[in-house]
Parts: sequence; C-alpha cells; structure tokens
Amino acid sequence: MSMVMSGGRRLSPASRAALGFFARYATIIGLLLMIAVFAFLSPRAFPTLSNFTNVLNQASLAMIIAGGLTLAVIVGELDLSIGFAASLHGVLVTGLIVANKLPIPLAIVIVIALGALIGLVNGLIVTKAKVNSVIATLGVGTILTGLAFAYSAGVPIVAGVPEAFLQLSLGRWLFGIPNNIIIMAVVLGALWILVERTALGQEIQAVGGNPAAARLAGINVDRIKILGFVVSGMCAALTGILLASRLGSGTTSAADSYLLTAFAAVFLGSATMRDGEFHVLGTFVGVLIIAFGFNGLNIFGAPTFSQYIFQGAILIVAVGLASLGRMISES
Amino acid sequence: MLSSDTFASATMKPFIVAENIAKAYGGVQALTGVSLSIAPGEVHGLVGANGAGKSTLIKVLAGLVQPDAGRIVVDDVPVSLPTPHHATNLGMSFIHQELAFIPGMNVLQNILLGVPKKTRFGMVDWQAAARDVAPIAERVGIKAPLFASVKGLSTAENWLINICRALVRKARLIVMDEPTASLSAAEAEKLFAIVEDLSASGVAVLYVSHRLDEIMRLCSRVSIFRDGRSVGCLEGAAITRPALIEAIVGGKVEPLAAAERHPVVGKDVALTVKALTRAPKVNGVSFELRRGEVLGIGGLVGAGRTELARLIYGADRPDSGVMTLDGAAFSPRNPTQAVKAGLGLVPEERRAEGLLITKSVAFNLQISNLANIVRSPAWPLIHRRKREALSLQIVRDLAVKTPSIDTPVGRLSGGNQQKVVIGRWLLRAPKVLILDEPTRGVDIGARGEIHRLVRELAARGMAVIVISSEPDELPDLCDRVLIMVEGRVIRTLEGEAITRNAVVEASYFVGGQPTQETTI
Repeated sequence: MSMVMSGGRRLSPASRAALGFFARYATIIGLLLMIAVFAFLSPRAFPTLSNFTNVLNQASLAMIIAGGLTLAVIVGELDLSIGFAASLHGVLVTGLIVANKLPIPLAIVIVIALGALIGLVNGLIVTKAKVNSVIATLGVGTILTGLAFAYSAGVPIVAGVPEAFLQLSLGRWLFGIPNNIIIMAVVLGALWILVERTALGQEIQAVGGNPAAARLAGINVDRIKILGFVVSGMCAALTGILLASRLGSGTTSAADSYLLTAFAAVFLGSATMRDGEFHVLGTFVGVLIIAFGFNGLNIFGAPTFSQYIFQGAILIVAVGLASLGRMISES
Repeated sequence: MLSSDTFASATMKPFIVAENIAKAYGGVQALTGVSLSIAPGEVHGLVGANGAGKSTLIKVLAGLVQPDAGRIVVDDVPVSLPTPHHATNLGMSFIHQELAFIPGMNVLQNILLGVPKKTRFGMVDWQAAARDVAPIAERVGIKAPLFASVKGLSTAENWLINICRALVRKARLIVMDEPTASLSAAEAEKLFAIVEDLSASGVAVLYVSHRLDEIMRLCSRVSIFRDGRSVGCLEGAAITRPALIEAIVGGKVEPLAAAERHPVVGKDVALTVKALTRAPKVNGVSFELRRGEVLGIGGLVGAGRTELARLIYGADRPDSGVMTLDGAAFSPRNPTQAVKAGLGLVPEERRAEGLLITKSVAFNLQISNLANIVRSPAWPLIHRRKREALSLQIVRDLAVKTPSIDTPVGRLSGGNQQKVVIGRWLLRAPKVLILDEPTRGVDIGARGEIHRLVRELAARGMAVIVISSEPDELPDLCDRVLIMVEGRVIRTLEGEAITRNAVVEASYFVGGQPTQETTI
C-alpha cells in the first residue's frame, strides 16, 4: 500500500466562509426565526407591544446578572456564585429594610457594596491562592447560601416590605417604561462602554484573549481578573435586589436559577457575531433568545418541564456554535 | 567526507527509511525533503542547529504531525502514521526531553501505561505484571522498587523508566531527544552504557543531541539537518568535531561582512545585571548594556537565555542578583513594573506570548500604549482617531503588510506578525528592548527589515538585547555578543571577533572552565 501523505483536513474557502457566517449569525437568525414562528402561530397574543415589553421586563434581571457574568468570562474565569449570591442579596436587602429599618437607598448601597466584596473575595481566591475559578466560586456560592439561611432561618421575609421598595422593580418612572428595563439598559450600556470603548476594556479583552501575552505586554493580569469578579458580584447584587423588589419578599434560593440562564445567555452571546468571544451585546442577544423562548412556550401552554429542556438544549447548542466559530477563526 | 547518499552505506537491511519528508507550518517550510535510514541495532545520531527540522522529523515519525509529502518505509513496507498509536505498534518508542508521567501512579503502572495487562477475575494482576517487567527493569538498571511512587524520582531514573517502557512494548527503535540535557556526568555514563547494550541487542537508537562529544562517542552514523534539509550523513571515523560543526553551520565557516558596529564604550550605561541567578537555568549572569548598543546573547536552546530575559523583565523573580536601570536600583516584581520603568520584550513564542491572535492589528499594537490613546486620564475612553493614526504610522514605518489595521493579526504572515509585536514597543520608546528570537519563522525579506529596524533603534539611543539561536543572526546585528552555556556567560565576543564560527564554537562548549568567568 503505497501512499502519498495528505496535509490534514482543510476547508475550502467557500465552505469556510459559509460555516463562518453560520457560526456568527446562527443565534440572531434563530432569534428572528423564533419570533416569526411564534408571531405566525399566535398572531393575537405574541407580536404585541405589551408582550414584547413584558418579555424585556421579565428578562431584565437575567440580563443584568448575565452582563456581570460576561465580564468574568471575558477575563477567562467562571463565576458560579452569582445565583446564590443574588439570593443572599435579596434576603439581605429586605432584611435591612424591614428588620433594621434602614432607608431603602442605604440598604441598596450596602448590598451592592457587599456584592463587590464577594467579587473581590472570589477574585483573590482565584488569582492569589490559584484556586480554579469553578471550585472557588462554587465554594463561595455554597457558603453564601448557608449565610442566607442563617440570616433568614429559611423563612421568607414577607411582612412589612414597604411599598416604595416594591415600586423599585414594579414602577414605571420614566415615559411609562418599566424601571427594570431602564436599569438594565443603563447597566448593559455601561458595561458595553467599559469593555468596548475604554482603555481598561482593552486590557480586559487582552487578559481574556491570552493571559500570557497580556502579562508580557505589561498588563497586571491579576488585577484585571479581580475586576471581572467584582463587576460580576455587583451585578448579582443588583439582580438580587430587583428580584426581592419584584417578589415583594426576601426568599432564600429565589435567584439560584439565574445561574443557568446567565451561563446559557453568555455562551449564546459568544456565538453571536464574533467567533466565540464573549461580549456584552452578545449576552444581551443570548438572554433575548432564552426569554422569547420561554415566553413562546408559556403562550402555547407548554408544561414547565419543557423550559428546562429548552434551556439545557440551548446551552449545549450555544457552546457548540461558539467553538465552531473559534475553530474557523483559528484555522 | 560527507557522503551524499544517505542510504548507501547501511550494511544491514534498514529497519526504517524516511524519504523526502516535507512539512510546512503555515507559510514556514519546516522540512524540505529530508531523508533518514536507520538499521536495526544502530545508534544513529541526529544533529543540526535549532530550527533545522529535527523536532519536526521526530514528530512525523511519532505520528504527531502529518507530513505534506514523502514516504516512510518500515521493514520494506510503506506505512502511514496517522496517530502515535500506529508508530508504537510498528515498534517505535519516543523519549522526549520533558518526560511525561502520571504522578499518582507507581513505577510499574507508568511502565505499563497503555499496555494490555493480565487480569484475574477482571482485575489487573499486578503481581504477574511485576514478574514480567522485573527482568527488563533490572536490565536497564532501575533501582526504585516497581511499586514505588514515581514522585521524587530523579531525572535519570525517569529516563530509565522510559527506556524500560519502550522495551516492554518490544520497541525496535527508541528515539531519544536530548537525553543528557538534565543528567549529571555519572548518570550520563550509565545512560551511554544502556544505549550500547540496547544497540548490541538489536534495538536501534536515534540519538538527537546538541552535545557533539556524545554523538562522536556513541553513534556509528550521524545525519545532519540544516534549514529543514538533510545535508549529509557522516560515518565512523568521519564523525569528527570540525566535520560536524562545518556541516551544522553549512559550507565554509567564514565571518560574514561585519555590520556597521558602533563603539559604545563612551555611552551611558542603561542596564547593569550583576550575578543574576534563578536555579537551575540562570547561574550568576552579569553584564552591562549601554545606550545605543545591540547586545547579542547566543547559545543553544536550553542555555538559559529566555529565562534570563524573563528575569530582567520581571516575568520571573530571581533567587539572587541585582540590576540597575539608568543608574537606579531595578527589581521589577512583574512585567507591569518593568514596562513602566522602561523595558520592552518581544517574546520568543510569538503566537503564545506575543500576540492576541484573534484581535486586530491595531489592538495588538496599542495594548501596551493605552495611556497615550485615551481622551484624558480622568475620562479613559479610547480616542479612536488617535488610535488609528498611531497604528497607521507604525504600520507604515515598519512596512507591515496588512489589508487594514482592523485585520485580525493571526491572518498576517510570521514576519508581519513579528513587526506588530516590535511595533507595539516603538510607541512607548523603551530604554531597553529585549528581542527573543526576533526572526524565527520569518521570511528572509522581513528578516532583513527587522535587522535594519533594530540597528535604527540602537542608533536612536535605545539599548537592545537580541537573543538568537541562529549563528548567522548575531554577527549581522550585534556590537557585542555574550555566549551562554548552561546558564552561564562563558564568552564575550566583540567587534571583528563576532563570527558565525566563533558563535557556534562557543555555543557547543561543554565542561571545563569557562574562558571568561564574569564574577562581581
């Protein structure tokens, strides 16, 4: 068996371009397709301004927590503590307002500062003690769950939550737009500017792209990674606060499920427009896909379990698309 | 003396023949038709300068890399080696410089990794396995008990375990890559005895080494590679030191036309390094670097040159030693501090350490220069026009061939990528610029441009350190050259004394006393 050796698999330029286009825009095409199908199947209930506002309002909290997570993943780390942290923050902010009678703004500032502190702890454990971020943040998250139970004894804080606090999430203070949407727009806008337009953002992208090269280019890699965790922690805190306001109670474990949503969104986002790179706008699209998916499933009365199946499947598809994009951009 | 026909003199039927193997990585031709034949029981040497293609050929034989052209014949049968598994099944075994063990397993488990084992009731019968392995372990001289952990064993012992592993798999060819690099003289002696024993029992050894003394002592034939080609095969008495060096360097070893060198004695000292040490790679290195000087650091891969650069740059911390920069004490704790103090580094591994490969040319140019392209320190948004103007200026000045400054840098050729890494530092105008293998994987045209650029930077007063493994590069470029061997500076060449010959000669210096010990 004589042989001429071939030089490995190579894609033709045309199929490479086609695959590249698919990997970059599949998520957006998928989102539009999904909206079109739902609109076609349910022309009365689905494609209305109030339904779209409702979807965006519902999705706002997920967008904020996923926006924060985006910073952590851009710098190359995972933050699994966000859902548990947000639950603790929800309990804590209600407790501070109800039991400690703190003014609402002060309670919010304290809780967001605590979110930053948790991020700092995560960052220090990962960069200085060199603990893998999955383990570090899972550990910290579990501790936070314990603290939430210790603080509330597992009983939701419901009685005595002032109306003013509820209005934070339920109100429409500007042009009749739900507050959640406005807060989300401000947070995501700020994160987008930070990552895409500032000097710090360039360093954040560099650290995520290649930590070794970033370090030799003179960037303080540890500091940038810690910053990613701090932003992630603060966004988790804000999400916890808004959720408590929306629910009208501080409930342990209330925000835990945001973890999976945020991860699915962030990976969907990395498969959007850029070749497997995490970015804030992508995360926004990612949450939209999940939110519209849930909304459609609800409208058609699909059973609750289908939401889990949808979200799990979409996470896998997202990661698959992202690695396809990376493979093509590196080939 | 160089026999042109690689195959003519194999008296025995060869075990393996590789013919006209070619391999390109991206645009870089790593191998251009190299050939090699090894007879059973032969100790075959393989030498060549760094980048000559030795490692690539080994990877091809190991099934790790698929060649673009050529064929491999084992026992007269053409074979394909799509995976390492195929190479193992054909009786080839590879022992690399960095030995890979599974630390949680014991000696026996590591030896038998991947080998089918006898079982009793579905469980591995380790006692039976030990009985089978014990005679082989004894033959190669493994002292550690088979059931001991591999943790904490010496490098020498690790080598023996690897050889034992090869023999258990009934290897007929063992490829050893720089086997004595981390061995003491006594341990090396033991290894030589084992190699001779293997040879006597019919196992062929491909012995890859920079250490010419070992090559001369052990090998019956030596293949020499240069620039990805086989340039010949020496046999028996023809294997002499001068013949090897001549073949490695290529043709006549005459000094090249000397570059316009500048006497820099009168200039200010930019950087002093005193007794800098980080065991085991850097051992008491001292030198002075003046403004406007291009200082070369030559030597072989593994001589501690990159490690030295990392110490100066703050990427690693030294065990001891002191430095000054512009007369002030200088001990950077990390690269960030070094960059602030006025250093720049163009790392050896361009893709892994130099560039953000998926990011744009502009991104890569400006990443160390962000403070200069923001609107103001208090309002640190990137000034996009400033960013664009500065990027375009560098692209023009260095003649970087790129469709635009927004093109991902990974799409550029090696030479243009390298210009981007160098261009990054031009924006900061560092006091000291360290270039580690600046022209590796760079085509000849870009190489000339990079050399001109380095001279120009020096003319403007920058102090430049150039680390290079290419014997040609340093004579072309440097005012002064330090040669490092095993973490020490063993020779300083100046002016007309910087020749290709002198660099190679000094780089292969082994043992004895350094000719010019620099101590403080």
